Amino acid sequence: MGILRFIIRRLIFMVALVVGISILIFFMINAIGNPIDVLLAERPGISPDVIENVKHYYHMDRGLTEQYLTWLGNVARLDFGTSIVYGQPVKDMLLTWGWETVKIQVSSILLSLALAVVIGVTAATRQYSKTDFGIMTTALLGRSIPGFFLGILLILCFSYWLQIFPSYGAYSTRNMLWNSPWLDSLWHMVLPVAMLTYFNTATLTLLVRSNMVDVLRQDFVMAAHASGLRPRDVVYRHALKNAFIPVLTYLAILFGLMLGTAPVTETVFTWPGLGYLYITAIAQLDYPVIMTENLIITLMLVMANLVTDIAYVVIDPRIRLE
Amino acid sequence: MSTRTADKGSEGAALAHGVRKHGMLALGWQRFRRNKTGLLGLTLVGVVVLVAVLCPVLAPYDPDDQSAMLKFESKAPPSWAHPLGTDRMGYDVLSRLVYGAPTALIVGLGSMLVASLIGIVLGGISGYIGGMADELLMRFTEFFLVIPIFVVILVMVRIFGILVVGTPLEKIPYLNLSTIILILGVFGWPPIARMARVEFLRLKEMEFVEAARCVGVEPRSIVFRHILPNALPSLVVLIALGIGGSILMESMISFLGFGDPKAVSWGQILYFNYEFLKISPWAAVAAGTAIFVTVLGFNLLADGLTDALNPRLKE
Repeated sequence: MGILRFIIRRLIFMVALVVGISILIFFMINAIGNPIDVLLAERPGISPDVIENVKHYYHMDRGLTEQYLTWLGNVARLDFGTSIVYGQPVKDMLLTWGWETVKIQVSSILLSLALAVVIGVTAATRQYSKTDFGIMTTALLGRSIPGFFLGILLILCFSYWLQIFPSYGAYSTRNMLWNSPWLDSLWHMVLPVAMLTYFNTATLTLLVRSNMVDVLRQDFVMAAHASGLRPRDVVYRHALKNAFIPVLTYLAILFGLMLGTAPVTETVFTWPGLGYLYITAIAQLDYPVIMTENLIITLMLVMANLVTDIAYVVIDPRIRLE
Repeated sequence: MSTRTADKGSEGAALAHGVRKHGMLALGWQRFRRNKTGLLGLTLVGVVVLVAVLCPVLAPYDPDDQSAMLKFESKAPPSWAHPLGTDRMGYDVLSRLVYGAPTALIVGLGSMLVASLIGIVLGGISGYIGGMADELLMRFTEFFLVIPIFVVILVMVRIFGILVVGTPLEKIPYLNLSTIILILGVFGWPPIARMARVEFLRLKEMEFVEAARCVGVEPRSIVFRHILPNALPSLVVLIALGIGGSILMESMISFLGFGDPKAVSWGQILYFNYEFLKISPWAAVAAGTAIFVTVLGFNLLADGLTDALNPRLKE
């Protein structure tokens, strides 16, 4: 099977999955009845005219299938509708809230990649030493500690006891740090990024270590050593390159999962990102936001899977397609 | 490799004939005993199980006792009367914590029971029958593997909570918790199905299964008495991991405020006390520690089980 056919098959699968999940969520939300009716049940005294208008605005006076198709058509034109709770276009909200999520998630992924390479290689070159044992234990603990618990401990230590970092939010509304919005926002990022980085670094380090251990045993490493290259060059230039494929694919998964893990992180730190928005949207049944975020989360995850599959085949020709 | 797997096959056959002395379990336990992380995991899980079984004895107060609130003793720091303090709602934190253990175990075991039932049936059919059924079922599994489970579950739990209002279902105790368990199970089966398929594919070609077929053993008996017991070791590891994973998921769902308000769960303690972290940190920290210890226990247990039951996998 050619690579092109493989990619096309994956793309079809992707589209089916994304549409399937959006149908699932759409009909689930509508199973509770009209979201507008549910929302307005608690607010009596709104005249029927206004309700009719609102329903018309959200296309809710039509059949369910038609509603769904309208939504799908609008999405194709990048029109995600208007948030019921915030009254803003969802597209604008995605950009403002999304930036906050991307800010902490991407910096944490990059930071943990750098850390994991250094720590993982150190552990692999000193296999079974005390350093290795310590690194492995810390990494294994890092994989088991629930993210929100780590966040709570960080807040307790650094916000409440030592009073160094802020415990919530992305910006100060007054008394900015050194009167600089940039420094202030960096200051707020420290704890959430630390929490994410610990978790990501733990998994990545284990991956780097186990792959490096395998590669360092191979003949070409011995040949490189024997030909008199500097040990550091052998490890970081020759061996690391060969141990990197699984790490790269895991990075793709981390990027894909970015929004999936955001709700918990952002609730712990009351961070104004997409995860926090998603939680409030579910609580308040803000269905245009729920639908859009679900679409994006699924899309990112599926893309990450696609990239992983393709990367394996392109980078390592030994791997067959299916 | 082939001699080793053949060995395993004869172990399984010996087990079926009731020769227990050097059976798969005895051998596995011997290997497990030597594994320190596995033993640590077993100890942690054992403690949680013990606490869950003994919860009426261990808890100093009733889990629903809010009397401290009336005496203006909510959010009180740890004392002799309340060893872990009281929380924002006037509950005794230790009692809530102890009563959270059975909830956590029920969530873990219940969801994995659902997941392994679905997973083993689908994976088994896929691996044993093969052909078109295999192709279809594996596409279906792949579909489920890519779903962003957590975010979908959040919507589902919320919607179910609204749907049941006013229906007879509403009267079922712990309905919300049961829904969470069921949904976790329904979304948790794909890894088990995949593993079951691989094991069934491998085992159905083995000599001992061939031998059983030759002497005229019924297909049903081959599947349930010869293949399934030999596939279990790999599956048990996944199930142990899944129990920890489900407990973590439930606590995250509860922490975000979509849990069962009537159930006593560690995630609920976090949810209700998180905003008072600065005033009464003991409640949130105790609940977080309980979740951490339990999840760590199941992860380490799974690690030890991998070493003990599938020595082939770890090199």
